[in-house]
Amino acid sequence: MSENPKAPTSRPASNYFGAVMAVTWKDLAAEFRSRELLSAMLIFALLVILVFNFSLELDREARESVTAGVLWVTFAFAGTLGLNRSMAIEKDRGCLDGLLLAPVDRSAIYFGKALSNLAFMLIVEVIVLPVYFILYNPKNFFSPGFFGVILLGSIGYVAVGTLLSTMAVQTRTRDVLLPILLFPLVIPVLVSAVQASKGFLSGLPIGEIVPWLNLLVVYDVIFIAAAFMVFDFVVEE
Amino acid sequence: MSTQPRALVALNVVSLLLLAASYYASLVYAPLEAVMGAVQRVFYFHVATAWVGMIGFVLAAVAGILYLWKKDLKWDEISVAAVEISLVFFFIAIVLGSIWARPIWGTWWTWEPRLTTAAILEMVYLAYLLLRQGVEDPEKRARFGAVYTLLGGISVPVTFVSIRIFRTIHPVVIGSGSAEAQGGFNMAPAMLQTMFFAIFAFSIIFVTIFWHRMRLSALANRVEQLKLKVME
Amino acid sequence: MDTPNTLNYMLAGYLIFSVTFFGYLVSLWVRWQGLQAEEKALQEVENQE
Repeated sequence: MSENPKAPTSRPASNYFGAVMAVTWKDLAAEFRSRELLSAMLIFALLVILVFNFSLELDREARESVTAGVLWVTFAFAGTLGLNRSMAIEKDRGCLDGLLLAPVDRSAIYFGKALSNLAFMLIVEVIVLPVYFILYNPKNFFSPGFFGVILLGSIGYVAVGTLLSTMAVQTRTRDVLLPILLFPLVIPVLVSAVQASKGFLSGLPIGEIVPWLNLLVVYDVIFIAAAFMVFDFVVEE
Repeated sequence: MSTQPRALVALNVVSLLLLAASYYASLVYAPLEAVMGAVQRVFYFHVATAWVGMIGFVLAAVAGILYLWKKDLKWDEISVAAVEISLVFFFIAIVLGSIWARPIWGTWWTWEPRLTTAAILEMVYLAYLLLRQGVEDPEKRARFGAVYTLLGGISVPVTFVSIRIFRTIHPVVIGSGSAEAQGGFNMAPAMLQTMFFAIFAFSIIFVTIFWHRMRLSALANRVEQLKLKVME
Repeated sequence: MDTPNTLNYMLAGYLIFSVTFFGYLVSLWVRWQGLQAEEKALQEVENQE
């Protein structure tokens, strides 16, 4: 299965962008047909929310302080599922090798995969959040700040996760390895995202939330840059 | 071929002496601290082992980058040795920190920046070793290991900063009067001397252990080569 | 203020340090011995060929 970048081959920049979009679109199109990834992630996420409800038996007040944490733990675990499956599908169908043959900088593959992984994670979040809202009716839920945090956090998570899953899928231990590799590295995202989410949900003044937002942005920038520089080393043959 | 070079033998002796001296300095030479009592003495080894752990951490990350650049497997061996030794020393540092905390703050564990970051670092190390275990090809193993130490090298300091934005109850040892310094203590000159001596001693000890660990790697390589030759 | 008796904690600390530190050194030695034995055995096989 060979990849044809959609853009014309005359200008390198659009060639690169075209390649990225081609990879992303391939994943999204395949997923919309089979929906195996999304259904797995969704069912898992909803189950986690359910389990939390029964294991954490909280009254209304206690639940408020815990909402951000519960949601982010859910997204982290569902995200791992998505990352694993996404890469595994790639490897099993031999797409990875095909992509590597394409005459374009390899980091385009990384960005393409990362974007599709991000899309999947966002889709799951977009569905889980209203469900959570209906079940528990938390305050200040639909604030742009809160959604912004969800976006920034997901970006950071997926940036590192895509890179690591590319490595993990090439090892013997595969699926089991990804969370072990990912979680220690992604702690700044989880800490900042939970704190910032909490801040928005409990209506804290924006000044107190800004440090966390800064940290999220810094993390995202640093790790996207790092992944870009290092991806070649991870797919050498 | 497997006898120790003379410099290493000398280092062995020196390291043992320095270690003995550190025991003595921390247990006898350093004065008893009035507020915390005897348990304060573990502080010296706590700081010294944490220091060695830091050296290992930095060395592993730098060696990782150098491997990706030079592609010489020697750098990979350096990374592995550094991670392994750092893993052990940070473990000691964490446990000593915990033992120190217990009688002072009444709790075995506090979620404060340094302690938490050290624990996360240990998990990064274990993940690194597990990652390597899952890859058979030595070149790929080295590459993946280097990438992971690089990512870990960036992530751990960022983790530290992010947790530090929480309030901390870790003592600010060298005399601060703020509320954060609740667990702090004023260091008498003899204490300062002991601390610096321990740091110096453990640095030498680190070099010695690191050399031994590298020799172990070299031997393991020779065995691998022999295996390949014999299998033909 | 009386100085508290935290001697047991101190002893526990030094004990854990010693066990872990020397335990690691012992592990290095054991691994060395194992590899050396392997090397010897393999060399004998090689010499026989």
